Amino acid sequence: MLKLETVSYRYAGYATKVLRDVDLTLGDGEIVGVVGANEAGKSTLCLVGAGLAPGSIGGGLEGRVTIDGVAMTGRPQHEFATRVGIGFQNPATQLSGVTGSVFEEVALGPMNLGLPGRETVARAKAALATLDISDLAEREPRRLSGGQAQLVVIASLLAMRPAHLILDEPTAQLDPEGTRLVGVALRELAASGAALLVVEHKTDLLDGLCDRIAVIDAGRIVLDGAAGEVLEDPRLEAWGVEAPARIRLDRAVAERGLDPAILTGTGLGARDDA
Amino acid sequence: MPATPSRYHRLNPLTKAIIATTASAGAFVIGGYIGPIAIIVVMLALAYSAGELGRLTRVSLLLTVPIAVSVVLVNALTHAGTTVLFVIGPFDVTLEGVDFAGQIVARLFAISASIGLFILTTDPRAFVFDLERRGAPPRVAFIAVATIDAIPTLVERAAVIGESQRARGLDAEGNLRARLRGVMPLIGPVILTSLTDVEERSLALETRAFSRPGRRHLLWAMPDTGWERLVRWLLVGALVGLVVIRLSGMV
Amino acid sequence: MSWGRFDTRTIVLIPIAIAINIVLGQTVSAVLKVPIYLDSVGTILVGALAGPIPGLVTGVLANLVWTYVVPPPFHSDFAAPFFIVAAWIGAWSGIVAQLGLFRSRPNSTWGQVAIAAVVVLLVLGGIGYYGFVPFYTDGTFTFFGDTTNASPFFVAMGYIIGIGFIAAILAIIGLLVVRRDVGVGYVAVAGLICGIVSALISAPISAIVFGGVTGSGTDVLVAAFQQAGADLSKAVLQQGLLSDPIDKTLEFLIVFVILQTLSRRFVARFPQGEKAIGVEPGAVEPSGVEASGAEAG
Repeated sequence: MLKLETVSYRYAGYATKVLRDVDLTLGDGEIVGVVGANEAGKSTLCLVGAGLAPGSIGGGLEGRVTIDGVAMTGRPQHEFATRVGIGFQNPATQLSGVTGSVFEEVALGPMNLGLPGRETVARAKAALATLDISDLAEREPRRLSGGQAQLVVIASLLAMRPAHLILDEPTAQLDPEGTRLVGVALRELAASGAALLVVEHKTDLLDGLCDRIAVIDAGRIVLDGAAGEVLEDPRLEAWGVEAPARIRLDRAVAERGLDPAILTGTGLGARDDA
Repeated sequence: MPATPSRYHRLNPLTKAIIATTASAGAFVIGGYIGPIAIIVVMLALAYSAGELGRLTRVSLLLTVPIAVSVVLVNALTHAGTTVLFVIGPFDVTLEGVDFAGQIVARLFAISASIGLFILTTDPRAFVFDLERRGAPPRVAFIAVATIDAIPTLVERAAVIGESQRARGLDAEGNLRARLRGVMPLIGPVILTSLTDVEERSLALETRAFSRPGRRHLLWAMPDTGWERLVRWLLVGALVGLVVIRLSGMV
Repeated sequence: MSWGRFDTRTIVLIPIAIAINIVLGQTVSAVLKVPIYLDSVGTILVGALAGPIPGLVTGVLANLVWTYVVPPPFHSDFAAPFFIVAAWIGAWSGIVAQLGLFRSRPNSTWGQVAIAAVVVLLVLGGIGYYGFVPFYTDGTFTFFGDTTNASPFFVAMGYIIGIGFIAAILAIIGLLVVRRDVGVGYVAVAGLICGIVSALISAPISAIVFGGVTGSGTDVLVAAFQQAGADLSKAVLQQGLLSDPIDKTLEFLIVFVILQTLSRRFVARFPQGEKAIGVEPGAVEPSGVEASGAEAG
């Protein structure tokens, strides 16, 4: 369980607090989505949760970050790495650049942990299988498409068997096909039992995936509740978040006074299962 | 790497590296003509056994001929000497100059052939990771291997920036002055954009436990035999011996 | 004096710096046949940002990797022996940055600018005197008098070199004046010193191993000096003392400009970054929600 307790954070050299009194819990096996406007503090939240802030980038942290009750602030970075994995937007800069194949890339994390060879290989294979990309194992990382590369990145994180996985806008720099691939991967991840924190603008991806969703606005958590309720909350737009397509469609139908039943059977709208 | 590596290819990378280094160093410790030429012949023979003779000669000539031409021009034409062979314009071509140039050229080709053979028969990643297995720090290994990919990435970036600059009218074709004006504005943006990656890359590496101290168990293991170890020690010993002989001979 | 640190950021920077060295160096030597190399910009940058030891390590690794790891077409057969020079360049840039000499000092007084100009002139003049004037004063030969060796070619060479020097002086002074930044003067002098020592270290390596020739535009200078009567070692040294200071000064100035252009936030995260570019008066910015170097969100 990853917990941020009354966390405030400011970047090194700046006085403004980017996060203010944030309380957020990621329970074991939970899937939590985080949404908010640009510059609301979503990425900062991810960096703090993964220990990179202040660990790698400095800055001032107030409050506590605990994993399973143990305070993590001040611990060396590689201790975070085994407990929290974090993925970023740009797949190209997350590939290490030192491996000749996807398999080696995925195996890099476990290798860095000093695990024996057999264990490393087993973990790499398992991670590739979880995301259903075992067929990419012999490909050169440099030559993958954006979506494939992002999947390899996620697999590389998985191979370290972190209890928690944070993904900061994994589809932001991908084309629609890449986005689709990552969306499928996220569901496979969820099914595998990992605890997942996903920051996304594309609420469609979070729809049906997350148990809970938190809304962050100007550094504060303004809403934190069951995913379905949060996504239907009318205040989302004021916070700079666009509701998923099906909800917007439902609203549009309702606004025009049309019978919501017209959406039944079309696969659109809240009536039908997604 | 060829599909069916030869015996030479399959040697441990450190062995090949030591062969290349002792040969190059030997070429200039021995001096004269016979040493370097013998080394060239040995390298070519090894290349032939590895099926790389054609590539080696091509790469070696490509890299060394321009320098060799410079060596000949600089030294044959201007080296001080007493036996003048003939005169070209203001330059006296002396026997001493030609001899000196000849020795240097032989030496250059010996170095080029030795190092070239190593480069053509060795996977650079395998070499570096083998060194790590032998005790090199993992971070140094990272630097060496990361450089391999960093170069084409940089060149691609330069091409992209060059294209966009050309679209804005900064032309790099043409005479020297135009090319100079084309290259200069490229340098800044290329360097700056490569550097902006550093932050993201280092964060991504941190999350892969990159900064964890201690050794790692590498997935790759290059085979090494007792014979190769013996050869390596013999070569190094021979080089040290040559250096001692040369130095004491000079004293 | 702190010797620098090897944090992850530095380790990630070094391969990129080496790549910059190799690509710039190879481009310059292939495209422009001029007596500069521009193959140490990356090393100087690491030295400035991370410290003398990381700079040294970058230099050493750059040369060794260039020969033993980098595959063709960027491979170099002959770079490895010069790792000692590269080590010096990296270490010196680290020291220079530690001493705060890479800092921009805008709005310097004209007096300071004038002093800087004078110092630069003196140092450059000294190099010119040792490297260049022997053409005219070294006993048995001159560009003009000796009948068997002198030729219009070398007279022209002499003038070209002289013009090159004057151009370099004017460029540096021009920068000083235009930016009114005494920092340029400090950087230029640091570069000149770097170049002089580089020439001293690399001349014997070049002469012994390679017969004084590197295949670049500098070979013409070696020929000129040798034709004028110097033996090979002396010719290589004289060539070095002309090319290296100009080349290193240029590279130091490039790094100086890069450091000013990079975002302060980026530079400050490196071990020596803040020392290198100086702390902004009032270091804490009053407003603006900023994201990390990763992504905005």
